[in-house]
Parts: sequence; structure tokens; C-alpha cells
Amino acid sequence: MIADSDRVDLAWGVSLTDAQLADVVRGCSWPLNNSGVFILERVGRRLDVVVRELAEVFDVPLDVARFDVLQFIWTLNALALVNVVQSGSHLRRAADWLSLALRLAPAGALPTPITRRLPLDTGSALGGIASSLRASVSRVIGIAAASAIVLLPLAVIVGGSGRFGSLAVALGVATGIGVGLHEAGHVASLRGVPSALVLRGRRTFVLHAPVGPVRRSLVAVAGPAVVTATGLALVVLGAAGSEPSVVVIGLPFAAHALSLTVIGGDGRAACGI
Amino acid sequence: MRNLRAFALGTIAVGVLAYAGAAALAVGAQAAGRSLVVGFGPLVVVSVDREAATAVTTFGPGLVALAILGGCVNVAAARLLQRRAGGRGDGVE
Repeated sequence: MIADSDRVDLAWGVSLTDAQLADVVRGCSWPLNNSGVFILERVGRRLDVVVRELAEVFDVPLDVARFDVLQFIWTLNALALVNVVQSGSHLRRAADWLSLALRLAPAGALPTPITRRLPLDTGSALGGIASSLRASVSRVIGIAAASAIVLLPLAVIVGGSGRFGSLAVALGVATGIGVGLHEAGHVASLRGVPSALVLRGRRTFVLHAPVGPVRRSLVAVAGPAVVTATGLALVVLGAAGSEPSVVVIGLPFAAHALSLTVIGGDGRAACGI
Repeated sequence: MRNLRAFALGTIAVGVLAYAGAAALAVGAQAAGRSLVVGFGPLVVVSVDREAATAVTTFGPGLVALAILGGCVNVAAARLLQRRAGGRGDGVE
């Protein structure tokens, strides 16, 4: 959801020069019309202010200007070219989201999530891993918390003891860390390639400049391979030491092996599909 | 080339998953002090035999069979997806 009180910023690697919107990650640029330039020259300002200025300068009704601005920002945000800087309380936003979700429910749809694009340092493999983990930390924590919340009641039903509870929390944490490591694996293999981490709804992915087919396959495989190897190591260690909890914690990591098949986008990319 | 890649990735993926699942079952059975045999037909995936105070865990040829089956299914799925996509994706082959 984008509100009138929100602001927009050009995403990392995106610039506005001579009425052209250029994206260093995609290696593309797009020409803009006058109103597009007008809007993007005002990044950082509240959208309702931009709408009023656009209506005034281009002499269009306020509701038409509002529709145009929001549609333009929506399109650019969906392409991960601008980030939306949200304002207002989280509670108010949650209430607005719920209200919109209820209105959309008869159509079987949910409000479109906002896209967030974050910078990645691909100058070196270590820098790439560090920047990827930094960029995905909020997502890792969110997934870990959500997984633990889902697993804890199950643990209580199955075991009812503290051991199962702590195992559920550990599984949740492993699930979250697995996602962070997955993206870090991709980024580590993208040394020297302009890249950005994109968060859109429940999706997390690395957007990068075009590379050759062989390297594309390697990049696609690197993410799941890192996590799968970690999971395999934990399973082997747990099995060797007869430690069931270590084996169980290794399972969410090992499950990333599924991404290597054509079920996952990485597997399809690796197979050139 | 694409089929080979799909087969290799599918084999590795299903092999890893099958091994991890089998190891979890085996360690669980060991911790509970039970015997266990998991397999299909004559192909044993994993077995845990209790002998006096010790437990012997064996990963059988069923694991390899599962992995190869996974590779074949992945190739079939890749071909299906490719056909639906209407041609070659990256021009590698």
C-alpha cells in the first residue's frame, strides 16, 4: 500500500539524468516524459505535496494528478526502481492494510506488497556476503519469528516439554538463517557484477546485471548449494554424534536442496529454463 | 546438456533430502531405543538394528535409487516446462 503521506527515493543504482531513468544493475535506461521527470525530481517529498504541485504546474484536476502519481510510483516500485519510504504508525498501516484486504477479499486478492531494493557490495566475495546478510537481516528475523510462532504450538501439542519448545525455536531460527545464507551464496558468486537485494512481499531475490549462461547457472546453484551443504554438515555431525536435535536443525537447511530442482526458480535458471 | 544438468541437480537434491530424512529417522529411532527399517520392496533406504547395547545404522541402496528417481523426475519436469515455454531458454545447447 502506498499512502499520500509516504515519500519515494530512487533505489540504489538508479539515477535520473537528462530525462532518462538509468538502472546500473539492469544496465538499462528509459526515457521519461515531462510529468515523469517532474515527479522523480521531487523524490524525498511527501506524495500529497508532489500531487498538488503536479496538478498546479500541469493544470490537471487534483484527483487525476493523484491517480497519475500513484500509478507511476506503483509501476516504478514494482520494477524495483524506487523505494517507498513509509510514514505513520505501524498500527495505522496495519489497520489500513486489513481494511483494504477485506475490500479485496471477495475478488480473492490481497493488497499488492511494496518492493524494497537494497544495495549489495559485490566488489569481493566477503563484502558481498556481509552486505547480503546486512540487507536481509530484517527478513531473516521475520522468517525466524514467524516459523517459531507456527512451530511452538505444534511443539507444545507433541511434547509439552521445554525441550520441544527450544527445538521449535531453533528450527525457526534455522529457517530464517537458511534464507539469509541462500541469498549470501548467490551474492558471493556475483563478484564484480552490479547487484541488489529485492524484498517483495514474501519473496526475497537478488537482482543482478546480465551474465553469461554458464555464470548464470553457477550463480543460481551457489545460493541453494551453500545452505544445502550447511544442512548436510549438520545432519552428518548430528548423526555421527547421535544428537537428534542437531540433525533436526539441519533439516530446514537441507530442504533448500529442493531449490536445485525445477520446482524452484534457481533450479530452472540453472537448467537454462 | 540441459537434460544432464537437470538430472544431476535433481539427483543431488533428492539424494540430500533423502539422506537428511533418513538420518533424522535413524537418529530418532536410536534415541528412542527402537529398531527401524525404511525401504521400498527389496531396496532398503535406512535400517537401525539393535544389538545388545549398541545400535547399527545402515544406509541402503534405496537412497541411491531415490536419488536417481529424483533426477529422472527433474529431467521430465524440465522438459515439460521447456515445452510449455516454447523453445530453448538460453541458447546454450
